[in-house]
Amino acid sequence: MSDHSSPLQPMGSAVKYLVLFGGAFVMVFPFVWMIIASLMTAGEIQLRPPVWLPAEPQFGNYIDLTESIPIGRLYFNSLFTSGLIVFGVLLSSSLAGFAFAKYRFPGREALFYLILATMMIPFFVTLIPVFFIVRQLGWIDTYQGLVVPGLTSAYGIFLMRQFIVSLPDELIDAARIDGASELRIFWRIVLPLVKPALATLGTFTFIGSWNAFLWPLLVINSRELMTLPLGINSMKSLYADNTNLLMAGTAVAVIPMLFVFIFLQRYFIKGIALTGLKG
Amino acid sequence: MSSHASKTAWWLPEIPKSALMRRRMLWAYVFVSAPIVALLVFLLGPILFSGWVSLHRWDMLSPVNEMPWRGLSNYSYLLTKDPVFLKSLGNTFLFAIGGVGANTALGLGFALLLNSRIRGRTVWRVLYFMPVITAPLALAVMFSFIFNRNYGVVNNVITAFGLPRQPFLSGPSQALMTLVFIAIYQYVGYYIVIFLAGLQGIPQDYYDAAQVDGAGKWQEFRFITLPLLRPVMLFVVVTNTIGALQVFDLVFATTGGAPANSSMTVVLHMYNTAFKFSRMGRASAMAFILFAIIMLITIVQVRLLRDRTYQD
Repeated sequence: MSDHSSPLQPMGSAVKYLVLFGGAFVMVFPFVWMIIASLMTAGEIQLRPPVWLPAEPQFGNYIDLTESIPIGRLYFNSLFTSGLIVFGVLLSSSLAGFAFAKYRFPGREALFYLILATMMIPFFVTLIPVFFIVRQLGWIDTYQGLVVPGLTSAYGIFLMRQFIVSLPDELIDAARIDGASELRIFWRIVLPLVKPALATLGTFTFIGSWNAFLWPLLVINSRELMTLPLGINSMKSLYADNTNLLMAGTAVAVIPMLFVFIFLQRYFIKGIALTGLKG
Repeated sequence: MSSHASKTAWWLPEIPKSALMRRRMLWAYVFVSAPIVALLVFLLGPILFSGWVSLHRWDMLSPVNEMPWRGLSNYSYLLTKDPVFLKSLGNTFLFAIGGVGANTALGLGFALLLNSRIRGRTVWRVLYFMPVITAPLALAVMFSFIFNRNYGVVNNVITAFGLPRQPFLSGPSQALMTLVFIAIYQYVGYYIVIFLAGLQGIPQDYYDAAQVDGAGKWQEFRFITLPLLRPVMLFVVVTNTIGALQVFDLVFATTGGAPANSSMTVVLHMYNTAFKFSRMGRASAMAFILFAIIMLITIVQVRLLRDRTYQD
């Protein structure tokens, strides 16, 4: 990588690393401090003068935690609902994107404009009516209430259409001449060619629903159906006087996801740069 | 717009002649039907309904067809008689201005650093990106502890230097700025990655040509990098502004708008109005006011920042 695009070149390289290190320290410190505090006793956290490390790491905090918080259940609920939402968004977006990109049908342009228009509607404008609809359907405190409103994404349809439209028509025509059905063309030809776009859309959708808080907060009441962010929220009051346990619970909720990210970071970052620039 | 550009106007139906084409058309309808129905039920219908509700008084319990009509009084109440709404609007603007300004400057700055000759680019990028994928609620809990007035680590450090304790999230004059800091912490990594991709997309030839012409580093940045980054800059500023104006999770889980509404934001106030006080009409009006503001700001930003010629 050359240095030409940087006006910072005259900066000494020691200064560069110092700035980068300072920034990285700020980024990482809260996570490290969360883990250190999770290994302290409740008393150590409030000591004055403060201590920077536990006298003896209290690994038992993590066991205490599992006695009052159904961590496994929280993980299952988050994985299950996020998984369904990702599956629904990928399927509906790629099918509709395929139709908009490669079929002619009356009303196509009008419907596509409709989708472009709905893309710009922020969630808070529809929050009250969607909550009302879900309640009328009797879906409060159910998985379907959590999942169904998220199964389609106008942005996803738009993104998939943009990718599929660039696939050569000849590919699809050739398959038709070979007698392939429309579904088969979708499944065997279109989908494999737009895998990068699917991976990107899937990643975005997953992070979004994994971290979602406001909608689950409105829909879910019972502990059995809580997702991880709701779990953290209820720990806030449960452990108001036990910051060590609160930090242990938060660590259990976020650290595994960080490892998944570190493991897959290449794809994450490629995808984010991709959609960022396409959007 | 597509490879099958239609010759007729888009609103006129074009019915294919052959049976084969008609069958394909049918498949297309099958493919789009479910998503379209879902968007109608969960997006388009709701926004129309929300507009209707904003003209009424409604507690969500009484039947929809019996909502008392209030005309524009919800709107006029909010804009003239609800000090909390106006306060939250001001707070939300400050939050967005601070966050967007800092994220754009820091995002571009660190992207330039990472785009220069540097070791361990991947590692730096991963470290800066960690907060982006972490649940805002988890960050809120972590920072409530870090900035705690009595035993937060920041105050521990401050007092170790003999300086007085700061209230941060619990201080009327500091809560909002602390939230801005957390929002920067959370998203700056995302914008670094976006800017970095933009920088790497600028062809090397331009810089080579500039060097032949004897341009300095600053001139290269001013006359090549910045103009060519304009689309990326537009994306960053617009998406960050839209996101910041809708902030909810972070505020809900740290200050809840306290102390004395000094950190109240519009969506949190809307949430309270709707789901604590059951005033759906007023909350819907709030949503529409914020929506209108977001659209207005977006239009202005796009006009100011969109691609013009490379000379200002």
